[in-house]
Amino acid sequence: MSTKPSTKLARLLGIETGDEWPDVVRERWIAYGLLSLYVIVLWFPVYFIFITSIKPPGEAVSIPASFLPTEPTAANYVDIFTQRPFELYTFNSLVVATTTTVICVTLGTLTGYTFSRYDFIGNRALLLTIVGARMFPPIALIVPFFAIMSDPPLIGGLTGSLYDTRVALILTYIFFNLPFSVWIMKNYFDGIPVSLDEQAQIDGCSAWEGFFKIVLPMAKPGIAATAILAFIFSWNEFVFALVLTSTESSQTLPIAVSLFVADDFIDWARLAAGGMIAAFPGILFGLFFQRHIVSGITRGAVKE
Amino acid sequence: MERSNKSLRRLLDRLFVPMTVGPTLILIVTIIAYPVYRLFVTSLYRTHPITGEWQFVGLENFRRLLFADGADGWLTVFDPSFVAFTRNTIVYVGSSVTISFLLGLGVAMLLDRDLKGRSWIRTAVIVPWILPYVFSGLMWRWMFQAQYGAINGFLLRLGVIEESVAFLSNGTLAMVALIVADVWVFTPFVIVILLAGLQNVPEQLYDAAEVDGASRWSRFWNVTYPFLKPSILVALTIRIIFDLRALDIVWVMTEGGPSKETEVWASFLYRTSMEFQNAGEGAAMGVLMLAVTFGIVTVLYTFFSGSPYEQ
Repeated sequence: MSTKPSTKLARLLGIETGDEWPDVVRERWIAYGLLSLYVIVLWFPVYFIFITSIKPPGEAVSIPASFLPTEPTAANYVDIFTQRPFELYTFNSLVVATTTTVICVTLGTLTGYTFSRYDFIGNRALLLTIVGARMFPPIALIVPFFAIMSDPPLIGGLTGSLYDTRVALILTYIFFNLPFSVWIMKNYFDGIPVSLDEQAQIDGCSAWEGFFKIVLPMAKPGIAATAILAFIFSWNEFVFALVLTSTESSQTLPIAVSLFVADDFIDWARLAAGGMIAAFPGILFGLFFQRHIVSGITRGAVKE
Repeated sequence: MERSNKSLRRLLDRLFVPMTVGPTLILIVTIIAYPVYRLFVTSLYRTHPITGEWQFVGLENFRRLLFADGADGWLTVFDPSFVAFTRNTIVYVGSSVTISFLLGLGVAMLLDRDLKGRSWIRTAVIVPWILPYVFSGLMWRWMFQAQYGAINGFLLRLGVIEESVAFLSNGTLAMVALIVADVWVFTPFVIVILLAGLQNVPEQLYDAAEVDGASRWSRFWNVTYPFLKPSILVALTIRIIFDLRALDIVWVMTEGGPSKETEVWASFLYRTSMEFQNAGEGAAMGVLMLAVTFGIVTVLYTFFSGSPYEQ
């Protein structure tokens, strides 16, 4: 049996401490090995769909599947914008996700702050109602959502129903994301000392000034987390977009990608290209804002 | 001037709470409470097959959903297709949650140590979870594709199989494929939640356990587990609830097929209400899912109340 020096000592001494590798060092290499294996398995499918997107359609369907494209091409990406209205789908996705994010972050921040700081009648019940709304299985509501969006407008002068409009999607995604935003922001504000607000009040700030000038700037990381998650969730949403839209005037990228699936034939090379465009924000945010996403999920899920 | 400014300020301050909470509340009530009300109402109606008019039918939709046609009365035989897709749901959710939980726990424990490049690994791990589920579902459909898919490509090259396997055309294999895809998508979420929990375990407790010569298993059980319990419950609750209601992956990979062998609650609900335009029965299924979700939340919440966080 090898002796077991502390982690620090092992790092200082490196691997060659004696005839045998110390347990800590060996364990670390095992951990590296297993984690690398997991990451490779995790990324392989993404790699496979990426290389499919840059293969000529003929090569995409070779048997057995090739794992390195012989003639990389951007043709699939060009095709989906020239032969299909991908610029419209992208635009719809951007409008819907951005609008939802702005509304959810604005309201979530204000409401989250008040729930964190103020004691008012029924505040616990209200918070529970708002947060509990997140527990609703959204799919249970596709029937009423479809019906409501297809209803004639309540207010005279509006023409037509909300069905197949971006507004319908935005309203739906607010329902998905607002409770979550309130919850993350409330927990974030809970972590900012109340003494800051009190000091602002003593210095003669109004409640609004204290909030905007003192507390809000400190909440930037929480706001970033909320915004990223709200954007990603709205950008990625599929089921409600499938039910509530029917033309390219409101269909989003996830729907556009699913439209490549015909009953007996799937154009895999172009589907892969469309899929990569739909996956782009996820990959981008994941690579560069991982820290914010992680803090957002853990604050939203586990109350610290 | 000065005075009116001051009273305006005081008025605005007094309105701080209603102005910050009000809009959110109104929005939530209109976009959640109203649809929920419509859901319950719809579940009690049917469209008349000939006239197309809405008819109040009471609990008839629930009876049709749960019980075999021709059964007279409530407490008779369960509808075989309801039993079948409920069993599929349990297999799908049960396997996928269990596997992703164990895998996620393993990876989280590997990551919960002083590793160089840990942040890179965490980045690489988080990405699959934030890709559109449609993307992931189609990606796995492509991986499992009957002729040109990567999995057949591997197996053919390795000589494991002689001919391509049509994974998604065989009920059992299609279910396995769905579970693989689901585990692929959601293990990162489990990792993030459990890693956050692991990082809350005080370092000194590990040192103390080491001094006491506690075994690895006993260290996990007596030191890690009590602190990890709340995270475990959150991870499990959210995973179960999400899988029960998620349609995306199932729909784009198999559409519930072949011959309904991967039909789950969510795909049944979608098919009934949208393809067959049977809003009443679809709504009844929605009400049932709502009830089951609340049941699960309540059960797991009861576990929660003993957590070290609540004290």
